[in-house]
Amino acid sequence: MSEKDLDSSNVDLLVTIFGSLALALGLLLFLVQEDGTSPVNVAWLIPVFSIVSFVLILLLGSYDPRRGGSIAVIGVGFSSVFSFGVAYDVLINDVTNGGYIESTRIWFGGQTFAFEFGTYIDGLAGLLLLVVGFVSYLVVVFSLGYMVKDGDRQVRYFAEIALFVGVMLGLVIANSFLLMFIFWELVGVCSYLLIGFWYEKPSAASAAKKAFIVTRVGDVFLLLGLVILFNTFGTLRYSELFGDPELLSENAAAVKWATLCIFGGAVGKSAQFPLHVWLPDAMEGPTTVSALIHAATMVKAGVFLVARSYPLIVHSPDTALYIAVTGGVTAFIAASMAMVMYDIKRVLAYSTISQLGYMFLGLGAGAWAVWHAAESGIEIQAQGYTAGLFHLMNHAFFKALLFLGCGAVIHAVHTQDMRKMGGLRKAMPITSTAMGLGVLSIAGVPFFSGFWSKDEILEAVHHNWEAEGIFGALWWLGLLTAAMTAFYMTRLWMMTFSGPAFHEVEEVIPSDDHSDSGNWKVLKKEVKIQAHEAPLVMTIPLMILAFLAVFSGFMVFLGEGFGSVVFYGTPPSSEGPIQWGLLDHILLSSLTYLSVLVGLTGVILGYLFYKRGNDGQTPFSTAFVSDNIVTSNLHTFLSNRMYMARLFDWFGMRTWDTLAMACDWFDRNIIDGIVNGIASITEILSGQVRKLTSGFTGHYASLTIGGLGALVVITRVVFPLMGWSL
Amino acid sequence: MIDPIHFVVFSSILLLIGAYGVIRNKNAIVVLMSIEIMLTAANINFVAFSSYYHDLTGQVAVLFVTTIAAAEVAIGLAILLSLFKQRDTIELDLLNTLRW
Repeated sequence: MSEKDLDSSNVDLLVTIFGSLALALGLLLFLVQEDGTSPVNVAWLIPVFSIVSFVLILLLGSYDPRRGGSIAVIGVGFSSVFSFGVAYDVLINDVTNGGYIESTRIWFGGQTFAFEFGTYIDGLAGLLLLVVGFVSYLVVVFSLGYMVKDGDRQVRYFAEIALFVGVMLGLVIANSFLLMFIFWELVGVCSYLLIGFWYEKPSAASAAKKAFIVTRVGDVFLLLGLVILFNTFGTLRYSELFGDPELLSENAAAVKWATLCIFGGAVGKSAQFPLHVWLPDAMEGPTTVSALIHAATMVKAGVFLVARSYPLIVHSPDTALYIAVTGGVTAFIAASMAMVMYDIKRVLAYSTISQLGYMFLGLGAGAWAVWHAAESGIEIQAQGYTAGLFHLMNHAFFKALLFLGCGAVIHAVHTQDMRKMGGLRKAMPITSTAMGLGVLSIAGVPFFSGFWSKDEILEAVHHNWEAEGIFGALWWLGLLTAAMTAFYMTRLWMMTFSGPAFHEVEEVIPSDDHSDSGNWKVLKKEVKIQAHEAPLVMTIPLMILAFLAVFSGFMVFLGEGFGSVVFYGTPPSSEGPIQWGLLDHILLSSLTYLSVLVGLTGVILGYLFYKRGNDGQTPFSTAFVSDNIVTSNLHTFLSNRMYMARLFDWFGMRTWDTLAMACDWFDRNIIDGIVNGIASITEILSGQVRKLTSGFTGHYASLTIGGLGALVVITRVVFPLMGWSL
Repeated sequence: MIDPIHFVVFSSILLLIGAYGVIRNKNAIVVLMSIEIMLTAANINFVAFSSYYHDLTGQVAVLFVTTIAAAEVAIGLAILLSLFKQRDTIELDLLNTLRW
């Protein structure tokens, strides 16, 4: 099906989308009316819809004109509508009253304990449901346009993506660490499948393997953490674990190691230093998958896990500090590498790692503040917790926007190298505007969403500085990262969209005297960029996301404020429909102005360095990188990803290969020696024994009679002589 | 006076003769005959001890053995006949396809 066909059948697409959404809403209202209660009671249906649609796509996908796309849109649509219902009830109607609502069933039981499955809905789960449900749905709709060229293989794509969304939603609403772990692993499997979607490309296959194996390192830690928790407390249910703070503080050592191990799982899943290496390679999958992994699923699971374990982490200052340091360092390192990458998706990948680092920085600082407040007996709310999750939400919107925009660009120019782009602004007005808004948002330009959340995180970190010096260093790192973020995002936009709509292409052709001399010459010619705007099914999700990327930050003020529904500890006091006090606080703080200054500096530097001239070149940055020995060396260092991939390779060569060779020698010589030795001894013996089978009847008869005779002699003569009896 | 010992020695001699015939002969029919000799050796023992202990059980056993021996010979000869049809020989040394 070509794009033209898709456009002509847009009517049936609209019917599918709006029909399924209306149907889902109807079903939700019917169920709620039937129960006479809130959608929270049917929350367990949320993952079920997507997972059922996964099965249906596998069975029926090839009969669908959109190759399973319609079923995926319907299934994920149902999940999304139910997610919204639950999120609405939790976040707006506040049915949980700041606590949680749990429903549970016995899964299987033993004599002393029973494993249970069920749902655990609180503000955090509500927020994640909102973000995951919304972004995933837009990504699936966008995929309908983006994946068309893959033909029948879309069946596999849509099946996997429906499962991906389903298990992520399941992870969010699970009511115990065990159930969460199951979904956690399923998320890992789905990301493996989707990153390796174009498995015939060796780079995609190895990227998928890398993602799976690297996250597996983290998952082992997570499992270890859960084992520690179960051994200490005998349960993995959230409500039972979190319900007894005194028990937690009595077992401080166990909680410390358990939370450190759990954070290890988050480090793997959320691609934090030093397990960040898989995420940039994960760009090998379709861009929509990258958008899903970066904005809604997979990497957000790590942040969710840390936020979910907050009641445990606040009892362990070491873990909180470790989380904050990991987050700060990762944010800085990833941002520095993002500044020099030329692959547009890799820039975004490093930017995601960096922003996730921000979230962990906020969460860690918040947990530390809670612990410190409890130690010194002051009332404090975990500002870092709210800030980190606020950033998670904003990041989901603007990063999904950036990735989908980037997908539209790649769809149009068929390359990922930003050096070969440029001048796309006129050709793709909607995409370039939407991405521009996303860039401004992530760069922290005032009043865009990224500004509010990044500022809150930095403030939470700065707040801890008085009590613990290390947060001062982290604050400076965060501030520096903010500048770098602004710089590399501006660079991305300028390199992709600015400049003339013509390209100078160098082509090597045989020169005039080629037949005699074999000489080649370089012909420079101008080509007009062949890009065109993406179809509506792709641009509409972009517009919706752009709207959210700009305005989602205001959620912190509107209504009771973001902090009053997603919080840890005591919620801040509400001041009516608009939180003027918070706005005053932000606008009057000197920290705000500092970070605005830093962000704008980054934007301006990025603009100056990477504005394409009339010839499409960026002379200033080229000169800056190549002329100065310090900057050129730094550029090489960062371009090679700080040599970390090579360090891992070298480490692998030295240790694992040596170990493998030793095992190989042992296997070949010792194990094989034993096996072969036994075999050859048996062979020699049997070679002798088989000669008894001579084929002469007389021989057999003699042996029988001789044997009988020997038996008689032994029993009748030898035994009595020796004094034995039978 | 003929003691049981004489019968035992006689039957042992008969048994050994039979065994020798089984081992040394190459003709399958002669081997069958030798087996009959060995059975006869056993029968003599039965009869001798039956009369010695005045117990008829032994003689009844002999009747059974003779019957079974007759059946055995019938089957054995049938086997040899079909063997001869297939292989044109009943020389046991030539019938050695199952050797190693």
